[in-house]
Amino acid sequence: MSGFSIVDARGICKEFPNMTSPVLDDVSIDVQSGEIVALMGPSGSGKSTLMNILGCLDGPTRGSYSLGGRDVSTLTPRERAWVRLHYIGFVFQSFHLIADHTVLENVTLPLYYAGLDRDEREARALELIERVGLGDRLGHRPAQLSGGEKQRVAIARAVSGKPRLLLADEPTGALDTKTGNEVMELLLELHDSRALTLIIVTHDPEVAEFCHRQIFLRDGKIISDGSQHAAHA
Amino acid sequence: MRRTRSEVVGRAVRTAIRNPGRTILTMLGLAIGVGAFLAMVSFGTGARSSVMEQFEILGTRVVYIWGNMGRRDFGGSARPLTDADVEALLRDSMTIERVVPRVTEVQNVKSAYGRYPTKVTGTMPDFVHIREWPMLIGGMFDETDVTQRAKVAVIGTTIARELFGHRDPVGQTITVGSNLPLRIIGVLVSKGEQTTGEDMDEIILIPATTYQAFLGMPMGYHELMVQVRDLGLLETAMVEAIPIMRRSHRLADIEEDDFRMASPAQAAELARFVSTILTGLLIGIAAVSLLVGGIGVMNIQLVSVAERTQEIGIRSAIGASPTQIMVQFLAEAVVLSFTGSLAGVGLGWLAATLVAQAMSWSGTLSLLTMAGAAAFGTSVGVAFGYLPAKRAAQLEPIDALRHE
Ligand SMILES: Nc1ncnc2c1ncn2[C@@H]1O[C@H](COP(=O)(O)OP(=O)(O)O)[C@@H](O)[C@H]1O
Ligand SMILES: [Mg+2]
Repeated sequence: MSGFSIVDARGICKEFPNMTSPVLDDVSIDVQSGEIVALMGPSGSGKSTLMNILGCLDGPTRGSYSLGGRDVSTLTPRERAWVRLHYIGFVFQSFHLIADHTVLENVTLPLYYAGLDRDEREARALELIERVGLGDRLGHRPAQLSGGEKQRVAIARAVSGKPRLLLADEPTGALDTKTGNEVMELLLELHDSRALTLIIVTHDPEVAEFCHRQIFLRDGKIISDGSQHAAHA
Repeated sequence: MRRTRSEVVGRAVRTAIRNPGRTILTMLGLAIGVGAFLAMVSFGTGARSSVMEQFEILGTRVVYIWGNMGRRDFGGSARPLTDADVEALLRDSMTIERVVPRVTEVQNVKSAYGRYPTKVTGTMPDFVHIREWPMLIGGMFDETDVTQRAKVAVIGTTIARELFGHRDPVGQTITVGSNLPLRIIGVLVSKGEQTTGEDMDEIILIPATTYQAFLGMPMGYHELMVQVRDLGLLETAMVEAIPIMRRSHRLADIEEDDFRMASPAQAAELARFVSTILTGLLIGIAAVSLLVGGIGVMNIQLVSVAERTQEIGIRSAIGASPTQIMVQFLAEAVVLSFTGSLAGVGLGWLAATLVAQAMSWSGTLSLLTMAGAAAFGTSVGVAFGYLPAKRAAQLEPIDALRHE
């Protein structure tokens, strides 16, 4: 299962101008290609901040980060956009779909930015939308969908650009247990079929059970990092 | 490449259609700006050409000479304008082609059907030539009528209506003063009202000799209409005419002129100058309104960027580059500015047409003007759309995404 490090972050610190203590304090994390990692910890411990840095949405104050063997801690905004487009998919707790876009338009958006022509975009997106079970909702707007459906559209969009790394920040946090489980199953399925590396932020021990490895954060520090059951304090 | 460019525009159009409130608000400023611009241009040119038309009614190659009419308030002498003056002008000037005298006084005028006190003019057959005034029906009196002091009259359409209603006036008789019956031999084409409100069609022309013989003319003619051979000779004719008139009136060197002179063409020149300045001023005001429209576009786009901060964050999280974000917002500015400007052209055209109809001006907006205004409005909108687009592109992805 393990091949090479896809995520290799060392000594990551993140400070915000108006905060007294750093949000991330000397965090190092190494994720092998194909791994499924659960990132856990109390609210405010810095999980989202770490995900944003790993996803090249934000830069660290200090520390080095290489993604797929490439140093990405010193890229320009344009280059970081390119990395996000081709390497990374995001799934958020609050879905973050574009409200005036249909299901199909939301899913094709990354492919539009990647410069694919319309036919190829739609062919790829249609296949994915079928796959997440929303083949009959192509023309719907996000407001016309349930929470679980929205999250499935967001997942289809996140993987439509064939990313290597999928970052899911509390993907089931806004869903009931049953729907949440369906979403988790979908993520694991996509992991298996698409050779994805998965990092999932979750509070749910059941969700964490699915993962190869759990990392616990508290006050911006990693307090444990290991395989199942190892870190239950 | 071309395919993606047309798709960028297509997406901008789609966004505009899907957010009608925002779209209309953005377009409104520019539409009003462009509309006001075109309306101003059309009012300016319309008013100007109508001023020109007013002067053309008075004849283009004509100098008017007025006498003192017995008044001594603006000169020592008060000699009336006479046939001797007419002869002197025709004899001594190289530049003058025709001289037509005119005496006009208010008289009581009656027909079998009504009475109407109005101005009666004694003049010569050439009156209608100098004023370039065609006949509606019948004909003008001729030289024979003048020598025979014929009891004939030519009338304007207002007189025809007042005294004869819908009946054909030609061949009918009117009585001027207490006992001068005149046979109507022609009706002049209508010239409508002047800007001064004077009704050009309230006119009765009779031979000057008839006037003199039966109505009396103690003060001589009121006016000599002098037509020069060529428009370019107007100034020369005016310079020439002064010594001729002075000699004819036997004025001593120390005496002031007892006549005045002016030409509509000169007045038209002045009016043209004034209206050019006025038009320029109107267009200046209109340009400011266009600019205000552009600033409107900028404001709404800025608000829109602020409102859509999270959308921008989502797009950039997905992988849109700053350039792609910027292009998106610029394309939206282009689409909104273009459609807004087109709507403005529609508004401007409507205003211009309504006003032109009310004022009976001829068409005042050329296609080129409208196309130019649309192009100008679009560029203003795009120029002012640049700043918001740039702001959108420079947002930090994570800040944009966290934005509520
Ligand atoms: N852009 C920011 N500016 C200031 N403080 C921030 C910013 N982003 C996150 N924080 C703070 O950093 C801390 C960690 O936040 P976050 O990473 O969202 O925690 P978690 O996802 O574990 O709940 C919180 O106290 C939060 O208020
Ligand atoms: Mg969080």
